[in-house]
Amino acid sequence: MDEDVAPQQNFAERYRKPLLGALAVAIFFAAWQAIFLVVPFNPLFISKPSLIFEGYADLIESGDLAHDLAVSAVPFLYGFGAAIIVGVPLGIVMGWYPRVGYALDPLMTVFYASPLVALSPLVVIFFGVGVGGKALIIFFLSVFPFVFNACAGVRTVDPLLINVVRSLGGSEWDLFRKVIFPSVPPYIVAASRIAVGRALIGVLVGEFFAASEGIGYAISRFGDIFSLDRMFGCILTVMVIAVVLTESIRWAERAAFPWRSGR
Amino acid sequence: MTAYIQGRNVNLTFRPPNRGPVRALANFDIDVEDGEFLSIVGPSGCGKSTFLNILLGLIKPDSGDVLIHGKKISGPGTDRAMVFQEFGLLPWRTAQNNIELGLELKKVPAEKRHAIAGRLIDLVGLSGFESHYPHELSGGMKQRVGLARALATDPEVLLMDEPFAALDAQTRDLMQAELLRVWREARKTVLFVTHQIDEAIYLSDRVMVMSKRPGRAKKIFAIPLPRPRDYEMRVTPQFNELKLEIWNTLKDEITV
Amino acid sequence: MTEIQADDLIIAAIPAGSDAPRKSVWQRFEPTILGTGTIVLLLLVWQFLPDFVPMKAGTKLFFTVPSHIAGTLWTMFATGSIWKPLGVSASAFAIGLAMAIVVGLPLGVLLGRSATLNAMVDPFITAFNATPRLVFLPLLMLWFGIGIWSKVAVVFLGALFPLLINTYEGVRNADKLLINVVRSFGAGEWDIARLVVVPNSLPFIIVGLRLAIGRAVLGVVVSEFFGSQDGLGVVMVRAASEFKVDVVFAGLIVFAALSLIMTALVKLLEDRLTRWRPQHSNAS
Repeated sequence: MDEDVAPQQNFAERYRKPLLGALAVAIFFAAWQAIFLVVPFNPLFISKPSLIFEGYADLIESGDLAHDLAVSAVPFLYGFGAAIIVGVPLGIVMGWYPRVGYALDPLMTVFYASPLVALSPLVVIFFGVGVGGKALIIFFLSVFPFVFNACAGVRTVDPLLINVVRSLGGSEWDLFRKVIFPSVPPYIVAASRIAVGRALIGVLVGEFFAASEGIGYAISRFGDIFSLDRMFGCILTVMVIAVVLTESIRWAERAAFPWRSGR
Repeated sequence: MTAYIQGRNVNLTFRPPNRGPVRALANFDIDVEDGEFLSIVGPSGCGKSTFLNILLGLIKPDSGDVLIHGKKISGPGTDRAMVFQEFGLLPWRTAQNNIELGLELKKVPAEKRHAIAGRLIDLVGLSGFESHYPHELSGGMKQRVGLARALATDPEVLLMDEPFAALDAQTRDLMQAELLRVWREARKTVLFVTHQIDEAIYLSDRVMVMSKRPGRAKKIFAIPLPRPRDYEMRVTPQFNELKLEIWNTLKDEITV
Repeated sequence: MTEIQADDLIIAAIPAGSDAPRKSVWQRFEPTILGTGTIVLLLLVWQFLPDFVPMKAGTKLFFTVPSHIAGTLWTMFATGSIWKPLGVSASAFAIGLAMAIVVGLPLGVLLGRSATLNAMVDPFITAFNATPRLVFLPLLMLWFGIGIWSKVAVVFLGALFPLLINTYEGVRNADKLLINVVRSFGAGEWDIARLVVVPNSLPFIIVGLRLAIGRAVLGVVVSEFFGSQDGLGVVMVRAASEFKVDVVFAGLIVFAALSLIMTALVKLLEDRLTRWRPQHSNAS
C-alpha cells in the first residue's frame, strides 16, 4: 500500500512522548508532596519537594551550591580533558597500526573490564585528595571509552576508501587527513557519552573518600547532619547535571551524525 | 449451488494515523468453489493481499459479507491457513517445531503432533531437515516449511499470498510444480495471490483479474488446461493466448 | 613511516573466506603473541623496576611488585581469609543482580508493549541511567544502615537499567510479521508473548545482562568502600590505609575475576539459548 501523503500531526500528537513524560514527572512530584497528608513525615528520613525547594533556594543564594559545583568541576575537567587528549590519539594509533593494536588490545581490555575504581584508595593515599588525586581517578575511569572508540573508528574505515586514496597517489598523511580523521569524530562523541558517566563516578569517589568540599562531599555531609532537604537537593542537582550532559551529547550526536544511533 | 467461499460487496478503507484514508476494497465480489485453485492477479496495492487477510480473519471489512461454507468469518480459525510471502517462520524453532505451531495452539498432544508433522515433512520433500533452523534453510526450503505448517491443521482453505515472490526464478518454477503435487494429495481449496500471470495460469482452475485500488473483481478467466499440468504446457499456443488475454485485461489497471 | 604493507592492502581488498591467501603461522598467531607479550613485558618491567630505579626510602617501602601481589593472593586463599569477605561481597552482588532481573525483565516487557507507559516512565529511566548510582549511597545508608542492604540497593540500581532498557528494546523489536503469523494460527495475547516476544528478546536481554554484571561489580566495590563494615572492598580500604598495597591489588584481581567469570557464564548461556541465530551476532 503506498502512503505518499505526508503525515499531518497536530502539536499534541507530535510531542506526545515528551508531553506524557513531563506529565508523569509532574504527577510524581505532586504525589511525593501530597503523600505526607496521609503518611507521617519524618524529616530525618526523607524530605518533600516544598522543603527541598526552600533548601535549594538557600543553597543557591548563599553561593554554596555554586562553590561546591565549581570545586567538583575542576578535577572533572582536568581528568576528562586528559582522557580525551591521551585516549583519542592512543586509540587512533592502535587502530591505524595493526601491530600496536595487537599489542595493546588485551591490555586495554583487561583495564576496561576490571573495576579500576577499586584502586582509588591507593590513589587517594599516595596522591592525596587534592585536585591531582581526584583528576587522576577521573582520568583512569574515563580514558578507556575514548581509546576503544577511537580505535574502532579507525578500524571501521572502509578499506576500499583507503585503496582509492592510495591508488590516486595519496600520501599517508593525506590518507590520514582525508579519510581517517573525518570518520573518527562520531565515535569520539559516542565515547564521551559513556565517559561522562564514568567520570562522574570518579568525582564522587574522590570526594566521598575525604574531601572537604565539592558536591559529593556536600551530599554526604548533609546526610551526616540529617539535613535531608539539602541532601535531596544536591542529589537532584547531580542527576540533572548527569542528564543534561548525557542528553546534550546524544542530541549533538544525532544532529551532527544522523546515521548513528544507540543508547 | 452456493460457492464454498463467498465475498459479497466487501468494502474496506484503511485509516492510518496522521495520513489520509486509503480505500482498499470497493464492492468486491468473489466466489470460490470447493476444491478449486483460484488465482488473483492485480496491480500493486489493489487490495488482493488485503482480501486474503480478511479471509484469514486478521482484518474485518467495513461492510459486506465474507462467508466460508455459509458461515461468516469472525477471526482466525483452523479452517483456514496462510502461506506468507516472507515465510514468517519463527527463527528460534526448528523446521519441525515450526510446522507444529498450529497444532500446538490447538492443544494437540505431542505424539500426534509429531506424527502429523512427520508426514508433512515427507510430503513437502524436507526429509532430513526437520531439526534445522530457518537460517540454515534456503528460501525454497523455508517456503516448504511454510506450506507444511499451513497444511498441518488440515484447513479447508489454503491462502497463499505471493508465496514464491521472494524466491529466485528457478526455485520458483520448482516450487510451483511442488505445490501442484502437494495440492493433488491434499485436496484443499486454494486462493493464490500473485503478480505473475504465467504462474497464475499454470497453477489455477480460474484466474481473477482485479482492478487497481480500490479493488474490484474485473474479470474472471477459466483455465481449460488439463490436469495434471506439466512444464511443457507453458510453451503451448493455448497457454500464450490465455496469457495475452489476461495481460490485456490487466495492463489498463497498472500505472507506472 | 607506515606499517601497512602491500600484503595488508591486498588482504583488505579480498573478501575474507574466498580465495584469501593462506596466512603463515606467524601471521595467525601474531595478535596473540603481541598481546600477551606486551602484558608479560609490562609485568616484568614492573617486577624488576625497584631493582634498577632508585627510589626514595619511603616509596620503596610501599612499592609492590607482581610477585608480592601473587604471594598475597595465594596466602589469602590458602589461609581462607578471603572467603568470608568475598562471600559478603558476592552475596550483595548476587542478591542485587537477582532483584534487578526479577524487576527489570517484566517491567521491560510491560514498557515494550505499552507506548503510553513507556513515554511516562522514560524521563525517570533516562535520569537514573545517566546518574552514577554512587550519588545515592549516602541516602541509602541513611535508610538501610551500613549492612548489606544499602549495598544491595546500589547494585540493584546499577544493574536494573541495562536490563530494563535492553528488554524493552527486545520487545519493541518483535517482528510484526511473526506476530501476525502466530495470530493467524489462533494465538491469543499470552501465546504471542510466549511464542514471539520473549524468544525474540532473549539476545537483547543477554546483552543487558552483560552490562548489568559490570555495573553490579562496580556497585559492590564502590559501596563497600564507603558504606560498609564487611566485604572485600572494606578489606581493601583498610589495607590501603595501612599501606598494604598488595592486598589492594589482590582485591582488584579478585573482583576482576568475579566479573570475568560471570561474563563467561553469561556467554555460555547465550550460546545455548541462541543456537538458532545465524553465526554473526553484533551484540556488544
